[in-house]
Amino acid sequence: MRKVKFTQQSYHDRLSQILTDFPKLDDIHPFYADLMNVLYDKDHYKLALGQINIAKNLIDNVAKDYVRLMKYGDSLYRCKQLKRAALGRMCTILKRQKSSLEYLEQVRQHLSRLPSIDPNTRTLLLCGYPNVGKSSFINKVTRADVDVQPYAFTTKSLFVGHMDYRYLRWQVVDTPGILDHPLENRNTIEMQAITALAHLRAAILYVMDVSEQCGHNLQQQLELFNSIRPLFANKPLIIVANKCDVKKINELSEEDQKIFADLTTEGILVIETSTLTDEGVMQVKTEACDRLLAHRVDNKMKGKKVHDVLNRLHLAMPAKRDEKARPAFIPEGALMRKKAMEVDAPKRKLERDLEVELGDDYILDLQKYWDLMNEDEKQDIVPEVWEGHNIADYIDPDIMKKLELLEKEEELKERAGEYDSDDESEDEEMQEIRVLAKQIREKKLLLVVASKEKDVHGPRMPRTTTKVERKKLEKEMGSLGLDMNDKDESHYAQQARRSRSLTKKRKREVSVPPTSKTRSQSASRPPRDQSGVRDPKMARKATFLMKNSQKDRNRQGKKGEADRHVYDLKPKHLFSGKRTSGTNDRR
Amino acid sequence: MRIEKCYFCSGPAYPGHGVTFVRNDCKSFRFCRSKCLKNFKKKRNPRKTRWTKAFRKATGKELTVDNALEFEKRRNIPVKYSRGLWDKTVEAMKRVEEIKRKRQARFIMNRLKKGKQLEKEEAITEVKKNIHLIKAPHAGKAKQLEAKMVQKLQEDVDMEADAI
Repeated sequence: MRKVKFTQQSYHDRLSQILTDFPKLDDIHPFYADLMNVLYDKDHYKLALGQINIAKNLIDNVAKDYVRLMKYGDSLYRCKQLKRAALGRMCTILKRQKSSLEYLEQVRQHLSRLPSIDPNTRTLLLCGYPNVGKSSFINKVTRADVDVQPYAFTTKSLFVGHMDYRYLRWQVVDTPGILDHPLENRNTIEMQAITALAHLRAAILYVMDVSEQCGHNLQQQLELFNSIRPLFANKPLIIVANKCDVKKINELSEEDQKIFADLTTEGILVIETSTLTDEGVMQVKTEACDRLLAHRVDNKMKGKKVHDVLNRLHLAMPAKRDEKARPAFIPEGALMRKKAMEVDAPKRKLERDLEVELGDDYILDLQKYWDLMNEDEKQDIVPEVWEGHNIADYIDPDIMKKLELLEKEEELKERAGEYDSDDESEDEEMQEIRVLAKQIREKKLLLVVASKEKDVHGPRMPRTTTKVERKKLEKEMGSLGLDMNDKDESHYAQQARRSRSLTKKRKREVSVPPTSKTRSQSASRPPRDQSGVRDPKMARKATFLMKNSQKDRNRQGKKGEADRHVYDLKPKHLFSGKRTSGTNDRR
Repeated sequence: MRIEKCYFCSGPAYPGHGVTFVRNDCKSFRFCRSKCLKNFKKKRNPRKTRWTKAFRKATGKELTVDNALEFEKRRNIPVKYSRGLWDKTVEAMKRVEEIKRKRQARFIMNRLKKGKQLEKEEAITEVKKNIHLIKAPHAGKAKQLEAKMVQKLQEDVDMEADAI
């Protein structure tokens, strides 16, 4: 039930919105009403809207009925059926409105693109045959950009442009061209122009083509003018004789000139213009605007509301105090500017004109406008950078003075001896000291290196166990500068000799190596590799056995017979597995 | 065209090189190369990064206050071009640059002089303390003593000869 109601509500809302948004032809300004009639046909429009209204009501009724029925539905299935039926009927109703909806959619789109013409404000209306120059005129006078083409009926609808005059906003309306035939035979495009003419209270600018380039001669244009004349009642009128650059009025034939003369005698202003050379365009504009303003003011004065305003206005005229004449003071500059504005004075030569003149040779040279002291410096190439420094940072009108001060300072400093190189040649003593110091440092480094090479893994023997050789001692002491020549009688040499003879005496009485198995028990034991060895032959065998047993172990790089360490040459954690980033090319 | 100063290392940032970073508070930072930019992004303080000019000036390793340095200054009011002034300026620039370099070199040399002094003293103490590693203390003394003794003997002999 709720679903039915919801659908009905949505449809209702949508359709009512459509109905309200579309303008009611009776409520809007007659100009727009007429325009819409011309464009969309009043009857069709009203019919479409009416259909929509009917559809809306039908949908409402359908919903009401079905909601009532559903209250008496006995089963869920029945209710479902009813709901389906209700929704279906609403949809079919709407499907039948398809054509009206399409039409209304087109109307809506076109309506949104209509130019916004305010019927009440100051307007200038351009009319005339096709191709006479109405669109060119509007392009010249306003910022509008209407298509201008050589074929007739380039402008197919109304266009609006805006311009300013005397601090007021003016609308300029461009119409499609009108041909001369009775009202009933006119097509939609022309009807738009007629509607505009009929409803807008504007100054009319009837544009004529003097050179007859539009394809119609002056006689025909005059005919058209006379036939539309009734529409020009109560509106300020100006005849614009366009394309005068091709042919001027005084170049025309006698009878054509007579036409213009007649028009002038009737009191209608004729102005020659040329939208190509801008001759007379400003004149037309000012005349039309002034006339329209005067007309509007007149109308207002005649109306009823004027008195309210007039009562509130009071023009104060100060009484003369004395006989001194006090004319209005206008400064020179203002006068000149006013003169320049009124007369179409020749403008100064623009860059653009120069460009057009020179064509391909034109080079944009903005430096010629520079305001320098010397004229011939204008084309200079200004240096900007020197050796990594910006020249602009050094520019100073007083730079030479500052430089002079700096130079003086520099001179003083030089004289004071600041820049003398102070490489005082050191005296010999200092040089010697340096040499010695260097030697000392080298010696120290050597000592450090030697101490690092010490074997700290073995037992730490006191220094006295290492026997000092005489040669080494003498060499060392000699390098320290002591005189070590013929030291045979020195104490240490004698001691060395003595100790050898004593031990010799004590150790062997007969200097014969033992041949038998006698074990000589002595205070100083024989070294291990000589104990138990009877003869050289056995000694040789013993060494041979030793070396043999060492061979295998040496080949395997073992430290000794006790070295059973198994080296892990390819640890698994380094040689297996993938890397999160990187390659496994080098392990 | 303008050669800007790199915000981090204070070196010249030529046009077409480096990066300009504009912060939300409209302060723009120009960097001469990505090294400076990366350091900046790491929020390093240029006054504490040893290789930058800012550090050197802040810790007094380079000349900071000098008249020759006042010539190069960013000016906010442009001066109208006149050929004579520009020519003179270029000449002056070259001279100022010379003087500036001299003074900067002098400043650094003066700073390093102290090191030379210390070196000297160190050598002297080294020699005083550790001369025994090179030369034995009584190295030439034996010969001297001998020479003295010979001389004394000679004198004695002379004296005796005279006495006789």
